[in-house]
Amino acid sequence: MGTPPLIQLVDVSKIYHLESGDFTALDHVSLEIGENDFVAIMGPSGSGKSTIMNQLGILDVPTTGRLLIEGKDVAKMSNLERTHLRRDSIGYIFQKFYLIPLLSAYENVEYPLILKYKKRDTSGRAAEMLHAVGIEHDMGAHRPNQLSGGQQQRVAIARALVNDPKILLCDEPTGNLDRKTGLQIMDILCDLNRKGKTVIIVTHDPKIAEYAHSTINLEDGRVVES
Amino acid sequence: MSDIFFELSVRSVRLNFLRSLLASIGIVIGVVAISSMGMLGTNMQLSVKDQLSSNVNTVILTSDVVKVSTTGGSAQNGIDKSELNDIKSSAGQNVVIPIHRSSTQFTIGSTNGRGSIYGLDPNDIQKFMTIDQGTNIKGGNDALVGATIASNFNIGVGSSIKIGQNCQSIVRPVVRVAGVLTARGITSDNVNADNAIIVSDQWYTDHFGDKDVYDQVNVVLQDVSTINQTENNIDRKVNRNTNVIRISDASSRLGTITSTLGTITTFIMAIGGISLVVAAVSIFNVMMMSVKERIQEIGILLSIGTEKGEVRRMFLYEALILGLIGAIVGGIMSFIIGYTVVNAMIGSTTYFFRTESLIFIPYGMIIGVVVCVVSGLYPAWMASNMDPIDALRNE
Repeated sequence: MGTPPLIQLVDVSKIYHLESGDFTALDHVSLEIGENDFVAIMGPSGSGKSTIMNQLGILDVPTTGRLLIEGKDVAKMSNLERTHLRRDSIGYIFQKFYLIPLLSAYENVEYPLILKYKKRDTSGRAAEMLHAVGIEHDMGAHRPNQLSGGQQQRVAIARALVNDPKILLCDEPTGNLDRKTGLQIMDILCDLNRKGKTVIIVTHDPKIAEYAHSTINLEDGRVVES
Repeated sequence: MSDIFFELSVRSVRLNFLRSLLASIGIVIGVVAISSMGMLGTNMQLSVKDQLSSNVNTVILTSDVVKVSTTGGSAQNGIDKSELNDIKSSAGQNVVIPIHRSSTQFTIGSTNGRGSIYGLDPNDIQKFMTIDQGTNIKGGNDALVGATIASNFNIGVGSSIKIGQNCQSIVRPVVRVAGVLTARGITSDNVNADNAIIVSDQWYTDHFGDKDVYDQVNVVLQDVSTINQTENNIDRKVNRNTNVIRISDASSRLGTITSTLGTITTFIMAIGGISLVVAAVSIFNVMMMSVKERIQEIGILLSIGTEKGEVRRMFLYEALILGLIGAIVGGIMSFIIGYTVVNAMIGSTTYFFRTESLIFIPYGMIIGVVVCVVSGLYPAWMASNMDPIDALRNE
């Protein structure tokens, strides 16, 4: 028996129970994502892109079906185990950057290291990551609201990478950036993929999806053939 | 401080400085109320205790039992001669002082007054009282006056006092002030001489009757540690048949008074505590606002792998910081306000620096901090249990 795929969705459905009735956001979705893949998830609004990202990011668990990360069923994990898996194995890059406003750029990058090692970073890894995404040392002291959109996204990428996760989840990472900056960010992501990261990117921009090795199209919560 | 969550809490407090400050003021008021009330009460207790302790070596014997003489005399209550002899025989080497006491009207010059009149053997007077001016009672009409009467009526040695009801048809006896007593303050030997006239027992019984019947007998102990033994001896002797003599001592009276003062102190501290309840509501409100304003931030923290306990800790730190600010400022202000209040109300700060008084400052501070942290429990719990997806969507 070979090693299990990095991410495996087996007949996953997500149903929200609303006052107006049940809403099926994901409808029996099955897919596999292997190590070092670069996958784009595309689809119109309401197709279930965000829901599948929440599942992949273990922020949510399936209503039915199984989600396995490195062969482990997330539904069977405790809350704390899921939190640690999020912290150690998954890096998030959001459309709105979502940096912690009260922390400086450097501290935002350092934060996941503090979560993992329960102490401030003395290894220089946070500074190294900032440098790797093109943020100069003196910019590190700035608060997120003092940085441009592109700079904030670079900081967010550095934060996502600092704990050396296997999976990078990117939710419209270029959505809030101009074209040129967006392309720079995509170059960084491609480079990371070349270095071995599994990159999953949600986008509705076909040009961005072209960077990916494969594309998953969603419609009404189902995977459709492209 | 290496804890990033503490750092985040400090920054959040700093960001909402005015709001945090106002919430902390509530705690300051609460801490000041509790501490200064506690200190005031304790100072009062200590002051009373010290004043009463000066007579703590006195056993007080009284009788409320009305005795009807079998020989047809009038009814009387008090300690009679045979009981006095019993007391003397059972009191050992200690000093036994029989005391006549009554309340009377008197006139000094043209001013009427009212006070106690004590009839004492002149030899006993200086065994437990001090003469400030003049001399002890020598002649039949000599009297001593308490310090309060002397100052209120502006009299001194040689002044005359008419004793009894001011009624024109009656010629009232006159005493001459031979001496003025030193102020005794609050005493626990049940001889409140400051507002009294002291006459000889002979003069007293000549004018008020009650010969050989005493209103009170005090036993002044030579060694205060023998108080229980002496009381037991007297009790066995004088109350051997029936329980006619009540035996009390300063320590039990002291206990009663200090415990009453203690109850009053607790009560006023509880009133002060109400302000802490108000402060708790205000802290709760501020913490809820802080959580509501930072929902998205909480979503970010949770989504990138922050444990629930860590989020909870962050908000509890914030409540703790508010509490500490309130408690420290409150502690300093308690010291200043407590000192001022004690000085104004007791007139002395002799007892202020004692441990049992100053301990109320740390007590108040600890209560203030605990109240703050408890107020932050629910908001912190709420923050840590948010759904990260919903929290992230919150704008």
